[in-house]
Amino acid sequence: MRMLKIVALATIALGITPGAAFAQSKVTMWSRSSSETFMPTLIKTFNASHKTQIELQIVPNTEMVQKYAIAAAGGSAPDLLSLDLVYTTAFAAAGQLEDLTDLAKSLPFFANLSKAHVGAGTYQDRIYGLPMSADASVLLYNKRLFRQAGLDPEKGPTNWAEIESYAGKINALGGDIRGFYFSGACGGCNAFTFMPLIWASGGDILVDGGKRATLDTPQMRSAIDLYRGLVAKGYVPEGARTDSGANFYGGFATDKIGMSPIGAFAIGNLVRNYPHVEFGVTFIPGKDGGKSSFAGGDNFVVTAGRKNMGVVREFLDFIYSVEGQSLLAKLGSLPTRSDVADEALKALDQRYRVATQAMALGRTPTSPVYNDIINSSTGPWKQMLNEVFFGNDVSGSLARAQKTMQSILDSAGK
Amino acid sequence: MPREHAVMPNTSSAADTIRPRRSRQRRKQLTGFLFVVPAVLLVLVFFVIPLCMAFWMSLHNWPLLGKPRFIGLDNYVSLLDDARFWGAMQFTALYTVVVTIAIFAVAFPLALFVDKGRPLTKFYRTSFFLPMVVGFSSASLLWAWLMNVDAGLFSPAAFRLGLTDKPVNLLAEFDTTFWSIVIMVVWKTAGFNMIILLTGLQGISAEVQEAARMDGASNWLRFRRITLPLMRRTIALALILSVAGSILAFDQFYIIADGGPRNSTVTAVYWIFSQSFVSFRLGYGAALSMVLLLILVTISVIQLRLLRTPEGM
Repeated sequence: MRMLKIVALATIALGITPGAAFAQSKVTMWSRSSSETFMPTLIKTFNASHKTQIELQIVPNTEMVQKYAIAAAGGSAPDLLSLDLVYTTAFAAAGQLEDLTDLAKSLPFFANLSKAHVGAGTYQDRIYGLPMSADASVLLYNKRLFRQAGLDPEKGPTNWAEIESYAGKINALGGDIRGFYFSGACGGCNAFTFMPLIWASGGDILVDGGKRATLDTPQMRSAIDLYRGLVAKGYVPEGARTDSGANFYGGFATDKIGMSPIGAFAIGNLVRNYPHVEFGVTFIPGKDGGKSSFAGGDNFVVTAGRKNMGVVREFLDFIYSVEGQSLLAKLGSLPTRSDVADEALKALDQRYRVATQAMALGRTPTSPVYNDIINSSTGPWKQMLNEVFFGNDVSGSLARAQKTMQSILDSAGK
Repeated sequence: MPREHAVMPNTSSAADTIRPRRSRQRRKQLTGFLFVVPAVLLVLVFFVIPLCMAFWMSLHNWPLLGKPRFIGLDNYVSLLDDARFWGAMQFTALYTVVVTIAIFAVAFPLALFVDKGRPLTKFYRTSFFLPMVVGFSSASLLWAWLMNVDAGLFSPAAFRLGLTDKPVNLLAEFDTTFWSIVIMVVWKTAGFNMIILLTGLQGISAEVQEAARMDGASNWLRFRRITLPLMRRTIALALILSVAGSILAFDQFYIIADGGPRNSTVTAVYWIFSQSFVSFRLGYGAALSMVLLLILVTISVIQLRLLRTPEGM
């Protein structure tokens, strides 16, 4: 009987001790709903081959930040998190994340991990986030409409003059066919697809480590002129003016749009759901050539206070292995480790290669108030874009947005 | 003294009768109190305590991520300079005035229409009330589709019928967005206001109307001198509900217009939501909420005073 008591007490003690930091055999992880196509299968495969078991919970995109913040305040945050990379600095600045610098630098392939993810995951020279999944913005074009318009279907536009000229020729096909599409009332979509036009032309939106906004630049004005011209000439459908992102991808899927800057996520979606749409993928070009991309996706982060890095290392070794990267690519995410990307993509649609190259040269603007200045539906970026694309006072709109954006940046953390 | 003696027995017997009466009264009060306890608890838990917490929160720099810091009245000072909040308040005031007038302009005639005994009255009442059972979010989604320039109903239909020379994007300009949403809200809530007004109409004694008619009062005179004055309380209730609901408007502007075009339809609650859950400034959002609550209470008190029933009515 006494022996039984000792065994029972020991069991209870064992059950309590590791739980305080990081349960060795079972850890919890949250991921946002946009990763639903790949995360459950990835975790299932990991669990099947490892002693450590991850319990995955999918959280709606729009609720992730609030839900995590509330859980962190109540001490019930998950151990691991797949977090939209643009939020990594905000979470790190708030002290919610574990410092992964030593672990990251000990990975033999660290130098081959997506630079954009690691950059977005770095706060005050310490690494808090590592690449989990990736998506890069690219330009999709409709090969059938290109052929009908007398254009080479194997060659997408390489500068803005070509974008405008090709859009005009496709528009001339008549009916409800239009040359170009973008979501004109969506801040996040246009950060993803409009910013690369500026970057590829040598401009920038945020400088000095994300502390200063630079909206009124020659590159920004030229890019605005490009979109204004496309709108004024009727190459863009009327619905784009008020599209807050609902048709970001659906517009091109109608098979009536010549070109549209979207994310690589659309490749798999079109192949699966709209097999009749014959499309090509190319880089988002600069004004006179060059190329750029917005490197998006999720960072892998660990909740502050979880000290058992052995489990984290085990999971990272798996997702960065050829098996993990191939599985991610097959399920819809771009590879995040460049030295195994070719192998991960070899069995897949070759259009992913352009997106992977775009990822390699992609950039991610970082700021603890990114949501405020760029994604917010009441924010300065969205309002400015809609005004300059469809309104009449470009200079006034740029000045107002610059002022608002800078005041938000200046008040960050105060 | 003898007099005092004379009253002594009486005093004692009065005390004897008062004591059980008091204890009966106390029991009654206790029973009444017990009946009220659940309601009091509900109000405490779901209104008073959260309200106190929101006020406490409003005195802090309370980020969604990170630790709160006490800053006193700084949030209240900041909101005085928040042009976007006052802009949103101005828009909310415009919307409240317009939509309240529009709802009454539709609901009152509907109430008069369905008050009369005529064929199919029940059918009309049900039909007019029906949009009310649809939630605001669902109704907004429905109208967002109806108003879509490419895949919707209104614009493509008007174009195909030759009423417009091209499909009109109703959400592209402030005027068309604003009036479309006002129409949607009237469609959705006029039936509810009609029912409230109908209860007021049916509370007016038929004899009073009949007497006035026999005295030769015209329909208009009876409406102005009998119906309207006797419906003061009902009108007050309907007005307060409509004004309070409009000041707190959010769903329809968020779902249909996303605050657009170009942030021109951002309401006060939308701005509070945006500050709290997009910018993660919970303390500031709480301060904005307290100010909005104060404005709402003031307006309701003024409305109640203006529409108070005169003595004797």
